[in-house]
Amino acid sequence: MRQSSVIARRVAAASVCLVLASGAAACGPEDSDAASGDDAKPKKGGTLRVLNSEPQTDFDPARLYTSGGGNVPSLVFRTLTTRNREDGAKGTEVVPDLATDTGRASKNATVWTYTLKKGLKYEDGSPITSADIKYGIERSFAAELSGGAPYLRDWLIGGADYQGPYKDKGKKGLDSIETPDERTIVFRLNKPEGEFPLLATQTQFAPVPKARDKGTKYEEHPVSSGPYQVVENENDGERITLKRNPHWSRETDEERFAYPDRIDVRSGLDPSVVNQRLSASTGADAAAVTTDTNLGPAELSKITGDKKLAARVGTGHFGYTDYIAFNPKVKPFDNPKVRQAIAYAVDRTSVVNAAGGSSLAEPATTFLPEQKAFGSTGHDHFPAGKTGNPAKARKLLAEAGYRNGLKVTLTHSSTTVGRGNPETAAALQDALKKAGITVSLKGLEDNKYGDVIHSVKDEPGFFLTGWGADWPSGGPFLAPIFDGRQIVRDGANFNTGQLDDPAVNKEIDEINKLTDLDEAAGRWGALDEKIGKRALVVPLTHPVYKRLYGKDVRNIVISDWTGVLDISQVAVK
Amino acid sequence: MSEAQLTSPVGVDAVVVSAPAAGAGTFWRRLRAQRAALCAAAVAGLLVLFALTAPLLILLEGADSTTYHPELVDSARGGVPIGSFGGASGSHWLGVEPQTGRDLFARLAEGAQVSLGVALGATLIQVAVGVSVGLAAGLGNRWVDQLFDRLTDVVIALPLVVMALAMLAVVPEDFPRPLLVALIIGLVAWGTIAKIVRAQTIALKSLDYVAAARLSGWNTWRIARRELLPGLAAPVLTYSALLFPVNVVIESALSFLGVGVKAPTASWGQMLAAADVWYQAAPQYLLLPAGLLFTAVLALTVLGDGVRTALDPRAAGRLRVGTRAGQGPAAPAPAADTAPRKEGAV
Repeated sequence: MRQSSVIARRVAAASVCLVLASGAAACGPEDSDAASGDDAKPKKGGTLRVLNSEPQTDFDPARLYTSGGGNVPSLVFRTLTTRNREDGAKGTEVVPDLATDTGRASKNATVWTYTLKKGLKYEDGSPITSADIKYGIERSFAAELSGGAPYLRDWLIGGADYQGPYKDKGKKGLDSIETPDERTIVFRLNKPEGEFPLLATQTQFAPVPKARDKGTKYEEHPVSSGPYQVVENENDGERITLKRNPHWSRETDEERFAYPDRIDVRSGLDPSVVNQRLSASTGADAAAVTTDTNLGPAELSKITGDKKLAARVGTGHFGYTDYIAFNPKVKPFDNPKVRQAIAYAVDRTSVVNAAGGSSLAEPATTFLPEQKAFGSTGHDHFPAGKTGNPAKARKLLAEAGYRNGLKVTLTHSSTTVGRGNPETAAALQDALKKAGITVSLKGLEDNKYGDVIHSVKDEPGFFLTGWGADWPSGGPFLAPIFDGRQIVRDGANFNTGQLDDPAVNKEIDEINKLTDLDEAAGRWGALDEKIGKRALVVPLTHPVYKRLYGKDVRNIVISDWTGVLDISQVAVK
Repeated sequence: MSEAQLTSPVGVDAVVVSAPAAGAGTFWRRLRAQRAALCAAAVAGLLVLFALTAPLLILLEGADSTTYHPELVDSARGGVPIGSFGGASGSHWLGVEPQTGRDLFARLAEGAQVSLGVALGATLIQVAVGVSVGLAAGLGNRWVDQLFDRLTDVVIALPLVVMALAMLAVVPEDFPRPLLVALIIGLVAWGTIAKIVRAQTIALKSLDYVAAARLSGWNTWRIARRELLPGLAAPVLTYSALLFPVNVVIESALSFLGVGVKAPTASWGQMLAAADVWYQAAPQYLLLPAGLLFTAVLALTVLGDGVRTALDPRAAGRLRVGTRAGQGPAAPAPAADTAPRKEGAV
């Protein structure tokens, strides 16, 4: 039973990874200086407009599945820790938010203790206490408020069976979260988890005052702990207006600047409309940004021809990998030489072009994304060069007994946007032809595609997929895909290579004990390199996000954690 | 484009009243007399020739429709073709496709084969099914007529694109896609032709020469074959000539919606679908398939109109492309007595 509920949440996790990956984009560090040149010092005041394609349908901290606390949500919900709001690699660091530090581990990283800063207040002036954070986490266990990441349920002692505070009236809640005083909170985990501070960035760690909780209706007006509070939320998150929270103080919040007086979020727009309005930048749109819409290749080719527009484009990264996955239980992919031959035959130039060109994707040879926080070693076990090595692929195929070529079927999603798209499939079909591999494409409708590739029973031998990070570390990247204990036989399985190697499993456990995240990153990188030799996956690309912003927007900061422009930093002219 | 326009070419209601077919000589004389139809025939002929000789032309150009040429596109700028006119050169006559660098001329030529081939196949199926059902209804007894006529009504009422989307989703992936698209269009959109054939059959079978044949002891099959089919040839030919361009449009619409032919096969509709976001950055990528599609549909429609005029000059005055029945100078629009229903006349 427990497993099946984990599965459901994993499916949600994967889909959110997708949303993040397809939507995450950012305004670039390389251009921010140019943009803010005319008045370097950002000023308070004004209204910032946010033009988005996806409406913020959930605004309850329990239900949100965001990497690093989200963007618009993190203006309203402060969490124990948060992502460092800086450009580049520094943006992947975890920093304290409500807490005084990122957490103190004891007992082999199974007990985590946090102390709240002094003087923290909600929008009504009442104090934020550790009990409110405990309550916020507990309510995320309620079935009616599901949607968040599965980690709390998996990690906290008793988390698997806890049903949330609505079914558990009058008791003291989840025993494994203790609040010895108003400013202290202690978490007891069922296994060592050195990356707990990274999990504590998610909105489930936002305080919720029990007296103000209205269950599923809480999202209509969540009580703000951040610099802004909700004025109105219309059409299920399609139009959200935020104003300043008078009780928020910059003195307790080193991460958020909160320059504009108001934030006006309008979503449900077609991505091309978002980019069109940002490029026109007229009227209120001059002070507009987007936190979910990326530039497409055709838009990019037009914008790069216009210097003024190009200066308003920024670049960001989000830990994500598009890759070929093999099911070694299906012939001929049980033969490592066949898998290696395909790895050698891949033409990463045409694959990058299919993903939108070198400005929107980087060629990938490692499963881990290239940012430092993931610890990727940059290895390339099957060097295919820029355009593939069909000669080497043919040689391997001959050794595997396919002297006269090979016929295979590549399964992908028929949806153009997102993982496993038909453009990438067609590019691979062309590249593999040169190595004597005849590929027929099998495009499945997106839901069916998701069902098939995550089912141990129906999993095809050769398919396209992608994986995104819940936080910038090797843990949420490697464990779900390569930990043998995470093979799910009767539900959504993400260990598609069905690898169950005791040595790999043990190393994952060992790294999880580390509280030094730099040391852990190095170990994750080494593990990725070791697993990569098996050619269970062929990494293809890591996406790059190009984001356009309005001409009156200043102080552009992009997070390398989310790849998204951080609106807590933005000022308007 | 509305469903009615997609499924019913202009003026189908009036064809039925046409007299028995004119002789071939008369037909050619009348067709030659129409300059527009001749031009359209020439253009349509060139397009058909383009489609038929596509493999040769592609060989002559030296490129092919599926090979990627990453070196011909500017990867950093989203994959826009390098060079002017979409990267046109001696080896890529019309330039290359953005992002992939596949040869545009080869894809257009291959697309011509698919677009025209699918439309032709679909038209043949429509004629075969429509004539069979229409004849059976017209010649059968009251019950047979009722059965087939109601069936035809149901088929006419089916929304073609929705039906096609549903059917394309359930057929196995490895079924040859162009054949499948032709089959679906053919099997869903034969209703109007069956109506016309039924009405004409009923009109013809009461004529003296048919009665004479029956009295001399011929069986129904022989009457249908020897006496009725020649009389049906004119309206069926006319209607097919008008159906053909409609089928070109339907195929491109289905491919545009992503359910038509599959990668890496090209069709004009599928090219249009991929090109729509590129209209500013690489205009020729959109304009070439759009222009070809427009030219083909216009030429085939004008030709179809000419064929009708040649076969049935009486209809010519009142049924011109773009004119409303009753507006023409010689418009004694007869009551659509034999036409079962009025459908989608422009």
